[in-house]
Amino acid sequence: MTSGSPLEPGPGSILDRLAERQLLVVTGKGGVGKTTLTSVLGRLLAERGRQVLLLEVDPRESLHQALGTEPSGGARVQAGPRLWIQNLKPEVVIEGLVGEKVPIAFLARRIVDSDAFHQFVAGAPGLKETALLGYAFRVLESGSRPKVDLVLVDAPATGHGAAMLAAPGLLAQAAKGGQLGEMASELAAFLADATRCGVVLAALAEEMPVQETLELLELLRSRLGIRADLVVANGLYPKLAPGTAAGAGAELLRARRRLNEAELARLAAAWDGPLVELPLLALERGPALVEALAEAFKGAEP
Amino acid sequence: MSAGLLAGRLTVVVGAGGVGKTTLAAALALGSAGAGGRTLVMTFDPSLRLKDTLGVGEAAKDEPSPVAIEGPGSLDAALLDAGHTFDRLIRTYAPDAASARRIFANRFYRDLAGNLAGILEYMAMERLFEMRAGGRYEHIILDTPPTRQAMDFLQAPERMMSMVNNKAIKFAMDPFWDGKGGLNLGFRLAAMGAMELSDRLVGRRFLLDVVEFIRAFAPLFEGFHDRAGEVRNLLRADETRFLLVAGPGPDRVPDAMFFLRKLKETGHHLGPILVNQIHPDPGPKPRLDPGLALLRFMADRDRRGLALLRSLFPEEQEIIPVALEPVPPGDLRTLGQLFDRVSKTKSI
Repeated sequence: MTSGSPLEPGPGSILDRLAERQLLVVTGKGGVGKTTLTSVLGRLLAERGRQVLLLEVDPRESLHQALGTEPSGGARVQAGPRLWIQNLKPEVVIEGLVGEKVPIAFLARRIVDSDAFHQFVAGAPGLKETALLGYAFRVLESGSRPKVDLVLVDAPATGHGAAMLAAPGLLAQAAKGGQLGEMASELAAFLADATRCGVVLAALAEEMPVQETLELLELLRSRLGIRADLVVANGLYPKLAPGTAAGAGAELLRARRRLNEAELARLAAAWDGPLVELPLLALERGPALVEALAEAFKGAEP
Repeated sequence: MSAGLLAGRLTVVVGAGGVGKTTLAAALALGSAGAGGRTLVMTFDPSLRLKDTLGVGEAAKDEPSPVAIEGPGSLDAALLDAGHTFDRLIRTYAPDAASARRIFANRFYRDLAGNLAGILEYMAMERLFEMRAGGRYEHIILDTPPTRQAMDFLQAPERMMSMVNNKAIKFAMDPFWDGKGGLNLGFRLAAMGAMELSDRLVGRRFLLDVVEFIRAFAPLFEGFHDRAGEVRNLLRADETRFLLVAGPGPDRVPDAMFFLRKLKETGHHLGPILVNQIHPDPGPKPRLDPGLALLRFMADRDRRGLALLRSLFPEEQEIIPVALEPVPPGDLRTLGQLFDRVSKTKSI
């Protein structure tokens, strides 16, 4: 898509750099804390004065739990100062798009109601992913109320996350000549612009999640020319205080901490970009956890 | 040992991403082979985790490769790869080499078919069917791709069948295309009510590619359709057990419930539920180190999760907690130990 030239690690913190982006896709393997990380980054970037929208694509909502709001149900819900969440259903976005491109209401209705349309939406590969990223793009480009200048996408798990970023380019090629192809092509160019779009990877410091993170970093680089902005290692076990009594519990914690450190070292050996470590905390999923992790993030910046 | 752990001839291991499905599937396979069965474990995962653990290479994409184990049984491991299996299937079912070439050359197939919704899940099922039909194994264990929506997985055969039946294919198969179809596309689209869709949104070239793809595929459809039906029946057969692996803690219970509800609704047979990575309680200590206090918190959380799951099921449903160990299993010996541990744990 574009040259894979890494961004110069300029002065300033990683948060400063993330705050310059317009779109950030947060991705990673299942169960590694993507949704919590999306919430943490959303809070931190809103704190820096950006107007931030968090988009969730999982039909089972969880962003609202992390931030302590009502579920979105498709609508934009305020989750803090300058911070909103929204759960998107691809089908609804695509129907909205048809309505926009076909301004004559009865024609749009006819398309949306036709069997051909439903089969197309269900079957066309990459269409849903493109529609979701396209939604973010349009929110940024054409303005919205409330104003949004940074969108974070809580992307599906690893394999799908890369497929999501690749989808607009593939669709642009396949559907060249139609409006859909034009939109996909415009979107692909936007995604390839490293000054505007970035990718954040969530991981656990365990063998397989680290392996998959390294594979995803390579896939992004080789297939899409994207260098990730940041890798975050979630849920690190604590170091035990010296002199802690022996016992099965202490042994478990020590072994898990050693495993975390070995995997962090492996990650750091293969990834020369920013890496932030976040601790496992004794807090339930919810606003208090997000708050504590946001503080930890500020303290842990490389 | 838990009665259900190795029951049935096919075990499909399901669960959300990151809960340890692959490791547990490998451990079960070792246990089954250790009990004397000719066993096959199939894993479907883009990162090919089992490859690392079981020491199987790229060759295992085509043919199951033997895993060096001691004991009475035998263990083979196979890797599933959607693109690879799909290509193979086309080679197998295409009536001649020219038809196969025509599919491989189609732009739509090359760019996009690998990403087609549900195809990964379906291909895993196809391969399972193929292996079952081969009759070489007494027990087959299938690790599945992490699918948040259980429906995607269970409905893959149905979806494949309806895809093959649907109007788009009848449309593409119309002998009309043998003549000047491309030139008269507008006319056909209008008749189908899809004129606006094509003109305003998709572009005709794309539609023509899709039509061409479907036509190239047509000779295979009947075979696909029949197989999808057989795969569906196999998944619902009594010999097939779905073993659910769940993450610990109350947060993961809705995930597990969703899988279980869908399995029941669609008439599949449930095996035991394994709740993985349960933190052990560090025991009472007058003044806890902050680290041990965290472990206590996690242990409480995991216990609440187990209790919640238990309260939602009838007593006969086996729910087996699997404790988090200091070091995750990384070789055959430790995988074998994991199986021993799981098989000795009583249902709660």
